[in-house]
Amino acid sequence: MDTQFAQRRRRDLIMAACLAVVAALVPLFVKDVYVQNIMVLTLMYAALSQSWNILSGYCGQISLGHALYFGLGAYTTALLFTKFGVLPWFGMLAGGAISAVIAMALGYPCFRLRGHYFVIATIVIAEIALVLIQNWDWAGAALGIDIPVRGDSWLKFQFTRSKLPYFYFALALACIAWFVTWWLEDSKWGYWWRAVKDNPDAAESLGVVVFNSKMGAAAVSAFLVAVGGSFYAQFVSYIDPESVMGFQFSLLMALPAVLGGIGTLWGPVLGAVILIPLTELTRSFIGGSGRGVDLIVYGALIVVISLALPRGLVSVFSMLTGRKEAAR
Amino acid sequence: MTALLETRGVWQRFGGLVANSDVSISVGRGEIVGLIGPNGAGKSTLFNLIAGVLPPTQGSIIFDGEDVTRLPAAERCQHGVGRTFQVVKSFETMTVIDNVIVGALIRNTKMRIARQKAYEVLEFCGLAARADKLAADLVPSEKRRLEVARALATEPKLLLLDEVLTGLTPVEAQTGVELVRKVRATGVTVLMVEHVMEIVMPLVDRAIVLNLGKVLVEGKPTEVVRNPEVISAYLGDRHAVGA
Repeated sequence: MDTQFAQRRRRDLIMAACLAVVAALVPLFVKDVYVQNIMVLTLMYAALSQSWNILSGYCGQISLGHALYFGLGAYTTALLFTKFGVLPWFGMLAGGAISAVIAMALGYPCFRLRGHYFVIATIVIAEIALVLIQNWDWAGAALGIDIPVRGDSWLKFQFTRSKLPYFYFALALACIAWFVTWWLEDSKWGYWWRAVKDNPDAAESLGVVVFNSKMGAAAVSAFLVAVGGSFYAQFVSYIDPESVMGFQFSLLMALPAVLGGIGTLWGPVLGAVILIPLTELTRSFIGGSGRGVDLIVYGALIVVISLALPRGLVSVFSMLTGRKEAAR
Repeated sequence: MTALLETRGVWQRFGGLVANSDVSISVGRGEIVGLIGPNGAGKSTLFNLIAGVLPPTQGSIIFDGEDVTRLPAAERCQHGVGRTFQVVKSFETMTVIDNVIVGALIRNTKMRIARQKAYEVLEFCGLAARADKLAADLVPSEKRRLEVARALATEPKLLLLDEVLTGLTPVEAQTGVELVRKVRATGVTVLMVEHVMEIVMPLVDRAIVLNLGKVLVEGKPTEVVRNPEVISAYLGDRHAVGA
């Protein structure tokens, strides 16, 4: 049984590597900029959702305020670049670090709350942060920040002529988030987080310091989401509070993981690959009427999936192989 | 040698309710001690105090020569207190072996070794065949054994068993009794709460009877069951007269 477990882990890793290679080759055949744009967003949301999944899926602390860390990443990078000329690469790390620290500072009081109360706290805190940024003149207030174009370069992480560099960066980000999850899954933290999610009292009795476990999950999760936010700022080159810290981002991070399979390794990827293109396509094909038909279709689909497959889309695979534990 | 566990004048009050009043007990190394008493006697509260779920209102708890009164549950586990829960608390979405790995991780930092260790504990508890099943799919008696396995994986010096034998069929209960004996044979001290007298009495070296939050009597199981006070606590005064 020991080898079986090791085999499954290796199989996951090989599968991920194969998928990454295939994904990397796609732009060679798909030249359409609109489609490439969707692919970038899909990969970005896969990465974000994978990061969200660490705190909310594995550790079971459902956050609907992760837009806060996304926005922090975006703002840190944009502000450091426009005000101090700091390269986005450093901004990215700074944004990640700041987010991780803030996640722990917020976790300190919030992790004493359980269940719904915790969820509400995350929503409220993100909304407060949004209002604060909207009124912070130095950071552009409600108008936001225009990131000046200084020519295409990897150093400044700006590309105006092609979306490909963004695509490859988003792919790398998705791979990193996946790999971090894969690696943590079979680490002390991974076991602790799942134990905390399933039964904090039992976990505590087995020597798991529940509070610290949650703090660790929050820090890792926030760091990765902030890096995603930094990327997004560079990608769209203009940010304002609502467009990087709005509540919809919190939802869009949670949905792929929830639909794909919350607390699973493949859930977020699977969810993002299905959900994000669907969002974009319904918007462009039936969203033109202005009556919100796209949102109705989109919402209906989410309801159908969650009713038919309450354990997420990954459970289809475990049904096929007839093994329950494959859903992990 | 000094006792492994000692509670000194422990009180626990919940508002106006006194769950434990002035409880002083001691458990020697290698003993199997039964903690018995009618419903509401304060057994579970005392267990929670020893396991560190909550600090006592008053009094102190000495474990392995150290005052652990103020230590939280996770640190008590580190010191060597393992426990099971009366209402089983399996990690339902995790496999059986993963449940046990959580416990094994406190003494083993290498994942491969923790997994190995967890597997050995499952074999010891007769659950190895179920290792890759989800904990949610176990039958109740298996879940009870998983509780024990998980606690054993933390390599406790003292194992607190909270009604692990209650609600089992006679055959299952007998298997449970044998498991407890096996655990003791490995050098682990056992303190167990049980309701079912006929199961506990042959198993334990010593019985402590709690009633209304106080220690009523303690002694050899054969003596304890004949004690008029114990009979009256369980069955009412009328029955105690004849004893």
